[in-house]
Amino acid sequence: MGNLIWHEWSRYVSLTATVYTIWAAFWGFLYRKFFWDFVGGTLRAPGGLQPADNVAVFIDIIVKAPIVQILSMILGFGILALEYPAPFLKGTSLYRSLVMRIVVLLLQAFLAILYYQGTNGAIWSLVAVIGYMRAIMLGESMAEAKENRGRGGKA
Amino acid sequence: MGESWFHREFLNPRRLVFNILFYGLQFFFFGYGWHSQAVNTKLAALNALTWSVWTSRGAGLVLAFDGGLILVPMLRNIIRVVRPRLAWAFPADENIWFHRQVAYSMAFWAMVHTTAHYVNFFNVERTQVRPERALDIHYTQAGGITGHFMLLIMVLMYSTAHHKVRKQCFEAFWYTHHLAFFFMIGLYAHATGCFVRDSADPDYITSFPFYSTEHCLGYESWRFTIWPGIIYFGERVYREIRARRATRLSKVLVHPSGAMELRIVKPSFKYVAGQWLFIQVPDVSGLQWHPFTITSAPEDPYVSVHIRQVGDWTRGLGERVGAGPSVVAALTSAAMKGSEKDDLVYGTRGNFVELDPGRTTRPLPVVRIDGPYGAPAEDVFNVEVAVLVGAGIGVTPFASILKHIWYRQRKGNVGSLRRVEFFWVCRDAPSFGWFQSLLQEVEAAQADPNFLRINIYLTQKISEDMLWNIAVNDAGAEYDPLTLLRSRTMFGRPDWKSIYGRMREAIETGQYLPGTNSQLKTRVGTYFCGPTVLAKAVQKACVAETGANVAFTFAKEHF
Repeated sequence: MGNLIWHEWSRYVSLTATVYTIWAAFWGFLYRKFFWDFVGGTLRAPGGLQPADNVAVFIDIIVKAPIVQILSMILGFGILALEYPAPFLKGTSLYRSLVMRIVVLLLQAFLAILYYQGTNGAIWSLVAVIGYMRAIMLGESMAEAKENRGRGGKA
Repeated sequence: MGESWFHREFLNPRRLVFNILFYGLQFFFFGYGWHSQAVNTKLAALNALTWSVWTSRGAGLVLAFDGGLILVPMLRNIIRVVRPRLAWAFPADENIWFHRQVAYSMAFWAMVHTTAHYVNFFNVERTQVRPERALDIHYTQAGGITGHFMLLIMVLMYSTAHHKVRKQCFEAFWYTHHLAFFFMIGLYAHATGCFVRDSADPDYITSFPFYSTEHCLGYESWRFTIWPGIIYFGERVYREIRARRATRLSKVLVHPSGAMELRIVKPSFKYVAGQWLFIQVPDVSGLQWHPFTITSAPEDPYVSVHIRQVGDWTRGLGERVGAGPSVVAALTSAAMKGSEKDDLVYGTRGNFVELDPGRTTRPLPVVRIDGPYGAPAEDVFNVEVAVLVGAGIGVTPFASILKHIWYRQRKGNVGSLRRVEFFWVCRDAPSFGWFQSLLQEVEAAQADPNFLRINIYLTQKISEDMLWNIAVNDAGAEYDPLTLLRSRTMFGRPDWKSIYGRMREAIETGQYLPGTNSQLKTRVGTYFCGPTVLAKAVQKACVAETGANVAFTFAKEHF
């Protein structure tokens, strides 16, 4: 497969998935719905889908109060800061950790799959996770940035 | 870059017209889609969903428009045919740029459309305007399934098309971009299943297109957007057929600098100077096509390309034809020695070596070529003065053009072309040895010393030794010590502003083109191939120096 640097590609996917998830979480505040409420739910007209009683805890944290959406959005901004990267994270060991990314992306996928708008964000996060896992398997590492790199003319 | 975003997008007339047309049309379609949904009394039930359904319908129409456009710039053969006639109307060589603009728009409107639909389905489930769950619409109906699939395909295609990934691993980009096939199928099928309807349940019929247009009230946009897809598919089939026509690799020459020259005989292949082709070597890779500039002139009995062994594929090809890195390394070092010792004695930089197929155990590989495809440098014979600027490896198309000019000169048929200025800006001359030998031939064949002028600029930092070498050897020598041309090599970067300024002055005073009537406007065409930064500098000089008597035009070639 040529010389594809997997973690660089995964970064683009991860950024896309994260921006999507933040946007989805925002709409999740306005239109609150537990994605898995169809399991055991009953459809009523009018009134829509009535979730089963045994998922009441999810209804509490997604529909009654958008806690999952808020967490997902905060995490999303965190991942964005890590991936873009934010100036204060650039060059830190956290920034260069691929394992860290896999962990936060898995967490993002877990949160996003819970609410109605987040499914695609979750799937894409998993795609990025696969990319990062492949990068680790191939022994890729993020190079320590050189001080003047990328500042054409200013060096 | 120095110029502001506003300056670039709005103060450039052509760009302004494009922006108004392209984005104006998109907003028009959005508004029209919104309006036609909102006032449609048959769809009153859906209109109870209010703004979200209007937005999704408007954005859907824009996406149909973009989906119809996305393949148009990729119709390479059709562009090649219409290009000479329509070059004034649109920059046909910027087709990839246009493809990208459509893709960016598509991503934006896909976001709008998807967001609106998430709201729609949420409300459909809540109000039961149709007796179904949001989940059903998302994951069991054609519209939802294809939509989610298209989004996933877009993520994969866009992320691998990023210029960094594309440069690292062209294969990843190339293969992933063929997901476009499924994307287009998804696009054409997106509104099937009678999605926009005035009834609660879909109204299917048994004959094509399997839904009744009485109750299914979508835009039917697939009837329009499918045509570019069909034409593109037809073009790919045609390219495949054309590529299978009799092609024979007749010779492989290895130049001392390490470049391989493949000479291919394909009688059905017709091209003009400055064009490029795709080449495939099934022994190296059965699926990959790689673009190369044609370096032979149309008058030559063969088609040649020069290939440097820099990537996976080119190295594989080198191994296959028996010119692997070891062979090339030996040749290169021999040539380097030659350039130090023997040059001034023999006046040449070592010759190319022809690989003898009888000597190696395997016969020469089968090759297939596809093309030719257009490049702006075809137009050199329509101007009085042609300025050819090649930077680094970007010099390759000019091999064909210079050869072609030379052939035409011999026949006394150079059109309105009176003079040729050739600029070659490169970091280190020895790496392009094969090109030098070609330049030598062309220069030696010049009868009129003023017709072709070769200007070579060497931009690398030169060591003190080299400086002395040049200073001593250069004085009074007939040939330049570095390039072995009669023209002298210059050092450092060319100052385009003063070059063009002097050229304009010389033309205006009549020194440059003796016998020209100063009443006539002289056209000076610049043909550039190389990196963007340099292109901007040259273009700036062209624009700045254009006056009443001299018109400088600029054209850039892309890889």
